[in-house]
Amino acid sequence: MTTKIVETEDLHKTYDKNSAKPYEALKGISLSVNQGEFVGIMGASGSGKTTLLNILATLDQPTSGSVKIDGQDVTNLSANQMADFRSKKLGFIFQDFNLLETLTAQENIALPLSLQNAKQSAINTAVKTAAGKLGIEELLGKYPTQLSGGQKQRVAAARALVANPSIIFGDEPTGALDSTNARELLDTLTNINQQGVSILLVTHDPFSASFCKRILFIKDGRIGDEIDAGNKPRNEFYQEILEKLGTFEQ
Amino acid sequence: MLFKISLSGVKARWKDYLVLFSGMMITTAIFYMFEAISTNDKFTTNSPVGQNAKVVFIFGSILLAIITLVYVFYANNFLMSMRKHDYGLFMMLGAKSGVISKLIILETIVIGLVSTLVGIVFGIGVTQILSDFLGNALHISLTNFSAFYMPAVWTTIIMFLVLFVIAGFLNARTFVKTSALQLLRSGQQSDWKQPKTSHLMIQAILGIVLLAGGYYALYDIMRLKIMAIAIGLVTIVLGTYFVFNSFFVMLLEWLQRSKMSSKGLNSFTLAQLKFRIRDYTKILSVVSLLFALALGAITVGVGFQNMVPKLAEGNGYYSVALTNPTAKQGSLIGQIKGKSTVTYQQKVDSQTKHVYYRADQLKQQPMKYAHFTNQAQLKSKVSNASLKDFKDVNSDPYQALSSLQAPTIQSYKIQVVSAQTFSQINAKTNALFLVRAHDMDAASPQLTKITELQQKQYHVKDLQMGSFTMYQLLKGVFGSLEFMGIFLGIAFLAMLASCLMFKILSGTASDKIRFDMLNKIGTRRSVLSHSILAQILGLFALPAVLGIIDVAFGLQMFVQGHLLTSAYQTFGITTIGFVILYLIYFVVTVLIYSKIVVPKTKVER
Repeated sequence: MTTKIVETEDLHKTYDKNSAKPYEALKGISLSVNQGEFVGIMGASGSGKTTLLNILATLDQPTSGSVKIDGQDVTNLSANQMADFRSKKLGFIFQDFNLLETLTAQENIALPLSLQNAKQSAINTAVKTAAGKLGIEELLGKYPTQLSGGQKQRVAAARALVANPSIIFGDEPTGALDSTNARELLDTLTNINQQGVSILLVTHDPFSASFCKRILFIKDGRIGDEIDAGNKPRNEFYQEILEKLGTFEQ
Repeated sequence: MLFKISLSGVKARWKDYLVLFSGMMITTAIFYMFEAISTNDKFTTNSPVGQNAKVVFIFGSILLAIITLVYVFYANNFLMSMRKHDYGLFMMLGAKSGVISKLIILETIVIGLVSTLVGIVFGIGVTQILSDFLGNALHISLTNFSAFYMPAVWTTIIMFLVLFVIAGFLNARTFVKTSALQLLRSGQQSDWKQPKTSHLMIQAILGIVLLAGGYYALYDIMRLKIMAIAIGLVTIVLGTYFVFNSFFVMLLEWLQRSKMSSKGLNSFTLAQLKFRIRDYTKILSVVSLLFALALGAITVGVGFQNMVPKLAEGNGYYSVALTNPTAKQGSLIGQIKGKSTVTYQQKVDSQTKHVYYRADQLKQQPMKYAHFTNQAQLKSKVSNASLKDFKDVNSDPYQALSSLQAPTIQSYKIQVVSAQTFSQINAKTNALFLVRAHDMDAASPQLTKITELQQKQYHVKDLQMGSFTMYQLLKGVFGSLEFMGIFLGIAFLAMLASCLMFKILSGTASDKIRFDMLNKIGTRRSVLSHSILAQILGLFALPAVLGIIDVAFGLQMFVQGHLLTSAYQTFGITTIGFVILYLIYFVVTVLIYSKIVVPKTKVER
């Protein structure tokens, strides 16, 4: 039996609820992500995909509906509980890597664990393991300015992995990258996913989406469609996404 | 058209502009405050301190101009960091660089001009309030001083206009030389480079050695004379720079290696602080030196002022002496709280020029007199005069009594006679009424009135009866010194703290991204706030600590030169007051900074 890492039911989000013009960004979204899945959420600007991601990532709370991450209901947590939850259960991949230039790769990767006040020895072991998964053990003593784009990405990925999160979220992670770096990041994500980590990617870029195993299309705050890569090669899946987008956006 | 767009850009970032604006306004106000004294020749040269003050003010003006220059450029950088994106966009859309240049220059000058004018009005108000307050608190009257002084207004306007025109042209040049794309993406890169340990080590040692050398030079002022100041100035300036550029950085690196750095956000906080200190070396050095100057100015000013009662004390035990006090004088004396009085009968023989006193009275209630036991340290002692003291014209008690008599008979010979002899002298019996006020500052209003009445009574302008007249004279000299010291000290403090505040706030744009990331990876809000507090505290505290150390050693100059007594007592009290003012700036900076960079949590529903 597969465990569900993310499970939402009838998720609604209304902004400016009490104003004259309330804006409903999410209109009842139910979805689930299984353990080890690589799921993409696609949609145009304003479709509600970033709102959805923020709610799943406990950066925002829904107006109604439920969100369960790794079996825990996260809709009624306090701000501090949300922060603690993020540091323990979630990993993030950012646009532009978002590494701290004043810290070494080692210190950057260790941040999420330092936040949990883990023991130094435990931090060192976890950083080594994460670095090993991404093949960047030699880079740990270096500062971000001494790293290439691809290396920075792997450091950022190691930071997302270091606390053994239940799932990794990415919000347009390739948005600010050139094609070589974008490709490298997506390969890295695929690699991580193959090691059993669940990933949820929000994007409007079909190329990025083609690396996912399943794609949910979101439009006007609702899930409109869903496609599965199955055993298709990536190129074929990419074509399918393009076709879907063609009809979906009409 | 572009102007309209540019204006809407300003509107959109109104809050940021407000911060910038109020900062510039404060700077202008401070500069005006200073100029209100410094350009007022009547006040500076006519004050008892006279020409000496002029030198101080020329020196101060130059210093203030330099720091203002630094400030305007920082504020300007802040302004440009807000506008870069907009201008980059205009250039993308095809605006010619000439048009952009004009727009930038115009915007800089308009902002400068408006803030200068508002700042001057503000400055006049502050000058009025501060001078009133200080005048009252220090019991001095400021003649020839007025808060609104036209030459000061002009100096301020010209100074700032020139600075803003220069800033405007420099801005335009930077823009035209950078490509539109760089402008759009600026602020996204950081140029942190890890400094080499060996370089750090050399600089740290050099910095400490230079500082120590400078401090020693000030200590040894009696031997080195004016060279002490020259040496101190150069070595302390260089030493401060090196200490910031390396010593503090090494200290933080050592902390980073320690166990505590792996807890929470400590590694981030320490690294940020290290980066900041290196990035801000120049401003932190300037802040530290100005802090020392300002604190020193106040300490020395207050120190001189504190010497006044001591000096007056050693010059005479009794505050005022009245011969046959009138009812009005009597009632004024009645109003003085905390006093001791004594009355001696006196007969004057104006033909033989003799003044007679009764031995029994002087024996029963001996006259007290003060004399210095150590003039340099202003230590004095009060003794009782014995009868035989009055036989020696050169003795302290004889001189003291003589000076307490009415001006007309001060040159007469004093003779102490028995009660019987006294009664046989054919002259009117006078009462010499001696009053000692225990708190001269508190009794000052009554004593001043009494002295004025006596001046009229004897038709003498420079009356010398009792220590109060001496007190008044010293108060005039040292009071204006103190006034200038405190006034300048506060002006410098406000300036340096504003500078530091803006330098820190101009870093918010790049920090916003960092804090957003930290929020996402699960940092509690309280932890973020704590990190900000620690970072800004470091940036505020380090220059202050160094500045306080500077003053602590610099005061040796005055102590060794026997210019100031109990300098360190004054130093303690002024430092506390000074630090409180400085803390206010710190708190404001933390609040604004946190408001800008800490991501809003959307949880509260």
